[in-house]
Amino acid sequence: MATLRLNGIRKRYPNGITALHDIDLDVVDGELIVVVGPSGCGKSTLLRTLAGLEAISDGELTINGRRVNELEPAERDIAMVFQNYALYPHMSVAGNMGYALKNRGMPKDEIRRRVAATAELLGLSELLERRPRQLSGGQRQRVAMGRAIVREPQVFLFDEPLSNLDAKLRVQMRLEIRRLQKRLGVTSVYVTHDQVEAMTLADRLVVMNAGRVEQCGTPMALYEQPATLFVASFLGSPAMNFLPVTVHRDGVVLPNGTQLALALPVAMPEGRVTNLGVRPEHLVEAASRPDTAAVLDVTVEMLEPLGADMLAYTRLSGLEEWLVVRLDGAHAAHEGQRLSLTFSLADCHVFDADGRRVSMTEGAAAKAQACQ
Amino acid sequence: MHYRRPGLDRLSHALLVLCCLLFLLPVWLAFTASTHTPGELYSQTAPLWFGEAGWDNYRHLLDGSVGGLGTDVLTLLINSTLMALGIAIGKIAISVLAAYAIVFFAFPCRRLCFWLIFITLMLPVEVRILPTFEVVADLGLLDSYAGLILPLIASATATFLLRQFYLTIPPELVEAARIDGAGPWRFLRDILLPLSKTNLAALFVIMFLYGWNQYLWPLLITNDADYLTIVVSLKRLLTSADGLVPWQDVTATAVLAMLPPIAVILLMQRYFVKGLVDSEK
Repeated sequence: MATLRLNGIRKRYPNGITALHDIDLDVVDGELIVVVGPSGCGKSTLLRTLAGLEAISDGELTINGRRVNELEPAERDIAMVFQNYALYPHMSVAGNMGYALKNRGMPKDEIRRRVAATAELLGLSELLERRPRQLSGGQRQRVAMGRAIVREPQVFLFDEPLSNLDAKLRVQMRLEIRRLQKRLGVTSVYVTHDQVEAMTLADRLVVMNAGRVEQCGTPMALYEQPATLFVASFLGSPAMNFLPVTVHRDGVVLPNGTQLALALPVAMPEGRVTNLGVRPEHLVEAASRPDTAAVLDVTVEMLEPLGADMLAYTRLSGLEEWLVVRLDGAHAAHEGQRLSLTFSLADCHVFDADGRRVSMTEGAAAKAQACQ
Repeated sequence: MHYRRPGLDRLSHALLVLCCLLFLLPVWLAFTASTHTPGELYSQTAPLWFGEAGWDNYRHLLDGSVGGLGTDVLTLLINSTLMALGIAIGKIAISVLAAYAIVFFAFPCRRLCFWLIFITLMLPVEVRILPTFEVVADLGLLDSYAGLILPLIASATATFLLRQFYLTIPPELVEAARIDGAGPWRFLRDILLPLSKTNLAALFVIMFLYGWNQYLWPLLITNDADYLTIVVSLKRLLTSADGLVPWQDVTATAVLAMLPPIAVILLMQRYFVKGLVDSEK
């Protein structure tokens, strides 16, 4: 059982590009940390430095208190699951799973016993003699997992392990990974660009952007109290709507001149430009809230019926972006229809001009700081 | 491509058969000629059918020293096989290691090393034959197997082909092996060599034939009949001292000289056809 500690991890390439800036993170024993971010944000680089495939330029990485910066991947007692599985094509499933054990000089009987037990756990017992190319995508994925599990490592590292699977299998394997990880209780770091995967799997979520940690916390904490505009726009599907507004004496002014009588949670000087973030599910029809003072008049431009919900892409005059609204699936909206929308102040997020949250509660502020 | 035109099918088959026959004709002529007595060969044009003397001709070649050569054909076959095997195995061993280093290890001047090897592709044996002879003579390797094999043992072609193959190996596979605790030698032995099995089989055939067909180099460095190779001996038989060319010996030796390469091709064909059918990737 293991704890993983990243202390000011920095990765600089010889060509001068810095891929990781001072990453601090404490992973407690048995925790599943998901690192999420757009492509190029450094999340894979971070995982590779943890694995030892990339050298750490600065900072310290410890596993169970032992500094591992200088150790070879095999000596760190970690296991990694790759995006394309990286199974050895010429070895059987059993050979793939047992290869690391064989390299450690473990006796053949012991290898066979452990491979059989792991195969049993993953439902691979029937496939042990097959070659990777004779397996389906989901089975290969499972073998890659098995190869990691059989070594009984201190830490699992997952590098977008589900992105080569079809949508249905992805959901299934996601649940399976979650179940296995809880059952085995192995500390894990999981990298993905899929925010649904991130939200559903994570004990704690680390959102990365441009080589920096934007925010870190439980999925719901990040969803409800995003610390930055980036996190707010990254988590949630469809993404949060942003209204650029100017602070006014009695509330705020929209780009089209409409005044909304909103008392912002934080006192701000008049004339200050801020971003008001509202999630699609928090926009409701004004008729249902007769007491509201903030009404947005929009025109429906496109509808996406999803069954339970209906997404309406609406146009608010003066705003370039669509305003996305999550309506009830049975809603009788049609394209071209005019809607009056409103939202409650409690559901909206206020960000200042450089993207930092200004309406943060103290508890959330403290949590967002504390990746440690 | 498959067109539904029976006429076209028949035509292309006929063309194929014709070409095969054209290729086979010289081999056939050599084989039939090797079964006739010298008298018959000199009194008629090349015979198209077998004669009576086949058994005697071949036994004569294998039993005792053939006229003018000072050795029997079995020794020639063994010499040629040893040389071809040595060259093929040596070339593959060196190329595997060279390509492995160039592709998977970061060391200073890696590109330069590759280009230096690559440039030697443009230098055929004949161009550097005098300095090579000098070196081999100084080392005292004239009339020896080492002298026959060593100068021909490095191959830029094989290094280049293996490099191209190694470059197609996904980097994740290398990383997975590293995490699994496979050091460089283990990775080479357990992963790279098994994966390049089919490439190695194909290279082995090509390099074996290359070694087998060497003429100028063995001719230059061997005087001792014990180190004569069969390809060189064919030419020597044609210039026999007593004026009459022993055509039955020449053709029979040529037929025998074809057997080991054919055996190698048949043997290795199993591997690379298998590799093509069930691709491991």
